[in-house]
Parts: sequence; structure tokens; C-alpha cells
Amino acid sequence: MDEIVLKNALPVVFEERRSLINSDVWLKELSLKKGETVLIEADSGTGKSSLCSYIFGYRKDFTGQICFDSTDINKLKVKDWVKLREKSLSILWQELRLFPELSAWENVMIKNSLTHFQTEQQINSWFDLLGIADKKDSKIGRMSFGQQQRVAMIRSLCQPFDFIFADEPISHLDDKNSSIMGQILLSEARRQGAGVIVTSIGKHMDLDYTKILKL
Amino acid sequence: MKLVWKLLRQHISIGQFSGFTLANMIGMTIILLGLQFYQDVSSIFSSKESFMKKDYIIVTKQINAVSTLTGKGTNFTKNEINELKNQSFTRSLGLFQPADFRVSASMGMKNVGMQFSTEMFFESVPDEYVDFDSSQWIYKENDNNLPIILPRNYLNLYNFGFAQTRGLPKLSENVLSMISMNITVSGNQKQGLYKGKIVGFSNRLNTILVPQSFMNWANEEYGKNESVEPSRLILEVYNPTDDSIVKYFQDKGYETEDDKLEQGKTAWFLKIVVGIVMGVGILITVLALYVLMLSIYLLVQKNTTKLENLLLIGYSPSHVAMPYQLLTFFLNGFVFVCAIMILIVVRGYYLEMLESLYPDLLIGGLGTTLLLGIILFITVSLLNMWVIRLKIASIWKRKE
Repeated sequence: MDEIVLKNALPVVFEERRSLINSDVWLKELSLKKGETVLIEADSGTGKSSLCSYIFGYRKDFTGQICFDSTDINKLKVKDWVKLREKSLSILWQELRLFPELSAWENVMIKNSLTHFQTEQQINSWFDLLGIADKKDSKIGRMSFGQQQRVAMIRSLCQPFDFIFADEPISHLDDKNSSIMGQILLSEARRQGAGVIVTSIGKHMDLDYTKILKL
Repeated sequence: MKLVWKLLRQHISIGQFSGFTLANMIGMTIILLGLQFYQDVSSIFSSKESFMKKDYIIVTKQINAVSTLTGKGTNFTKNEINELKNQSFTRSLGLFQPADFRVSASMGMKNVGMQFSTEMFFESVPDEYVDFDSSQWIYKENDNNLPIILPRNYLNLYNFGFAQTRGLPKLSENVLSMISMNITVSGNQKQGLYKGKIVGFSNRLNTILVPQSFMNWANEEYGKNESVEPSRLILEVYNPTDDSIVKYFQDKGYETEDDKLEQGKTAWFLKIVVGIVMGVGILITVLALYVLMLSIYLLVQKNTTKLENLLLIGYSPSHVAMPYQLLTFFLNGFVFVCAIMILIVVRGYYLEMLESLYPDLLIGGLGTTLLLGIILFITVSLLNMWVIRLKIASIWKRKE
């Protein structure tokens, strides 16, 4: 997949104040290309997480059209979505979607054992770099949200992708860890030639963005 | 897979699943035991009579002093036959055709110095009433070999009466089947010699039976060409327990030659009882299945978030459904194996009892029951897997 195109897309809940929408994303023709690094800045309640949910096929309550290359995503079948989520699209959800019953390491491995994409050595080095090597065997439920964000980031890198979305990835991180996470994300995306889309409601990851959009 | 299982086994209720296993085991055992018991016991009603069709009755007229003196009245007239044929309980009616010629038979083993010779008679019934290998139960013109079915009583009379008192050797059915009889047929100034071969023994037909094809030919060849009214009829009925049969026979003064009516009733009641028992078994199995379905629904419901997250990180619905599908598959397999083991133990007990009551009982195998068990196991498992798949699919679609 080389391109994600939004054509006049708008969450159904915004339909009533359609005329008041002033956004670079909603009700516009927008193309997100492979290789780009895009920041989407948003105020609360402007549909940031909704956008991620639409692109991941989790929700469909929007009007207009969203296309992967030239394919309308509403026409994709279950098996197409499974393949996309495994091989083309990765995301760090705002709510992380980790499994509290599993340890940090297991949360990463449950993804990597499906894709067999990263080596254990690579994963270990990320745990080290992000300062959570000592937390590998801790249950996710017993870790702070900031630590969980780092685990979720590592998990999102354990698959091949054309686009990676990070929904408020550093909301609970200090500057040092934000910077490390930004570097890891960017280097892995560059390695794969992928597009990076980061959303933020304030503090944002310090990356060399090719495009900054207001939601 | 290990991690997925670790995740999805959360909230599995041991109580609910043991409840299902126990209930399903009881249900399946009852169904299989019912079928096996029916198969084992029903052979009592049809033992050693495999070549005769089941639901038929042999009809004769009562012999009384008047008929003895006049020599008439024990044959069925055309009208009587037609009337019987048109009764609602009659499925089909066949006539016993007596021989219109003289028959004498001699048999024995010359090397042991035994030789019997006797006057005898032949009768035949239409071949469709003799459920016998048609290649053996046939007579070809100009062929000297003649297949014969003898009443088992004759053999018993010899073995336990004659041979016992005269100190002669007893003969088994197998030995007798290997001996050929010399049959002499005469009449119409002709005489013919045949090799009679006993192909079977009958408990229910008190006559010496030869193929219809031989009788037709021989009556024409050796007979006086007079049409003889039959004295016995063979009647196939829809339901041997039908009260109207008994009433009709009493009104007409007919008799049946054996206890077929009683036996038919017993067999019918056995069928009903086994049917009810198996029905209860099926009901329990269905309820057990329902319990399992509810447990799985509850389990999937409790694990909805986990399942949803697995789907969002790239697991396919079939991959996510598999742990639960395997779980039910192994539970059902366990139930199947347990039910078969219980069946074998229980069958051991009742067979011991049956064998002491009916020493000659032909015991069948477990084949049909095993087949039914496997069919049940596969059906229930497929149903479970399908329901689980549907449930996972509904989680996928929940947000759509």
C-alpha cells in the first residue's frame, strides 16, 4: 500500500455541525503517502481517535470515502483486514490495548509470534533503550501508563508496515524517553520505507515532520 | 498459540464445563446404550430365523371333529383368501402350495451304518417370503440338486427323542447340512431322483420347504394337474400388535401356527421402550449442548475486550476461535470415549444375564453403536465450532 486517501470524510457525529468544520483532514481530499512523516494536531473531541479507528477498520461510522491506494476501505473483507493489520498497518492506540494479564514481554511476543518479524535480540535492545528492561516480566496491570506506552510502542514495531500510526504516543512520557521513542520509531519506519502518522493534543514527538495538519 | 491460550483461558468456569461434560456423558451413554441394548436383545426375537421375513404370520384353520370326519373345511377357499387379502392389516398374502405328488427321502452315512428312509411331503411358499440368498434358493430344471428348509423341530425330535433312546449319535445342524438326502419323487407314472440339500432350519415353518420354482415344475410334471386349495397361508402384516388381527382370526376360526403375534407385540414394545429411552438420552444431550453453548457465550462475552484486541493486532477470527474450538472438541472427544467405556462395562453385565437366559443368543458387535457415537461426536463438535465462529464474527462486527 502506497497511499491512504481521504475524500470528504467526516465522522457521522459531526454531521450536524458540518458547516462549522474547519479542518485540514475532515471534508477535504487528503493523501497520506508512504515515506512521509505527518503530525496531526488536534483539540480534544475533534475525532483523532475516530480517524485511527476508521483507518484500522474498527469503526465505520463516517461519511465520505477513505481509500487504500484506489480501494474503498468499506469494500474490504475480513480476510483483507486481517492481512492489512498483520502486514501493512501498525498502530499504537491511545488506549494502548495491551493485555493486563500478560507480562510486558508476553504482550510484545503475542504480536511477534504471529508475524515473526523482529528478532528477540532486537526486541531486547528496545526494552533496554526505553529503560524498561527490568520490567519485562512484570504484569502490564502493575506498570505505570508511561511504561505501558513504551511496551505498546515496541509491540507496534513487531510487524511489517507501510504506515504506522501513533495516537498520542508520548502523553505520559518525559522528554528523554519521548526522544528515544521518536528515534526508534523513525529509524524503524525509514528502514521499512513506511509512512509515520503521529497525532497529538499538545506535547508532540519531536520529529522532522514533512506535513503538519490540523484536525 | 500458547500466549493466546494463556489469555483466552481467563474466565473459564471449571464448574460449568464439568456440568456440561457430565450431562453430555449421561445423554450420550443413554443414547448409545439404548441402541446397543436394542441390537443385542432384538436378536432374541429373530435368532436363527434370519432367512424368514419378520412381520409375517402363518394362518391355518382350526381342526375339529367335524373337519376330521368330513375331511373338508381346513382348506382356504378363493373367497376366504380374497377377503383376507383385502383386510386393512394385510400387507401381502402368500399361499402354501402343497405337492401334488409322492415324495420319499432316504439319508444317512453308509460308512457308519446309518440309513433312514421315510415318506414325506413338500410345500412351497412364494420366494419373496423366504429371505434367503437367491442364488442358493433356486431350482433349475433338469438339475438334480434340490435345496430344502427343514423344521428345526424335526431335528430336535430326532436328537432328543429318537437318538437319545436308541443310543444313536446326535446330529448338529452343520453336520446335517453337509449330508445330502436322496429324494425320490413319483406320480403321473413318472419317477425322478434328486439330491436334497438342507440349506436351513426354521423354527416357525412346520413344513418341509422347497423353492417355488421346483414346486411349479414338479406339480406339472408329476402331479395330477388338479388345482389344490391351500391349507396354510402366509400373511405379512403392517403391525403384528394390531388388535383387529386377533379379532378377525377369532371370528373366522383361524389359528396362527406360532406365537408370532405375541412375539411381535413384545418386539414392538421393546422398540417403543428403547425409543423412549433414546429420546430421553437425546433430550439430555441437547440440554447439555445448550449448557455448553451458554458457557461459551458467557466466556466469550467476558473475554470480549481481549478477543477484540487480538483481532486488532492482526489475529484472524479463525485463529482466535481455535482455542475455544479445540477446547470443545477435546471435551466432546473425552465424553465420547467415556460413554463408550461405560457402555462396554454395562453391556458386560447385561450380556452375562442374557447369555444365561438365552444360551444360543447370537451376540452382535459394537459397530453400529460406535458409528452412531462417532456421528454424534462429530455433529456436536461441528455445531460447537460453528457457534463459536459465529460469536467471534459478531465481535468483529460489533463496531460496524
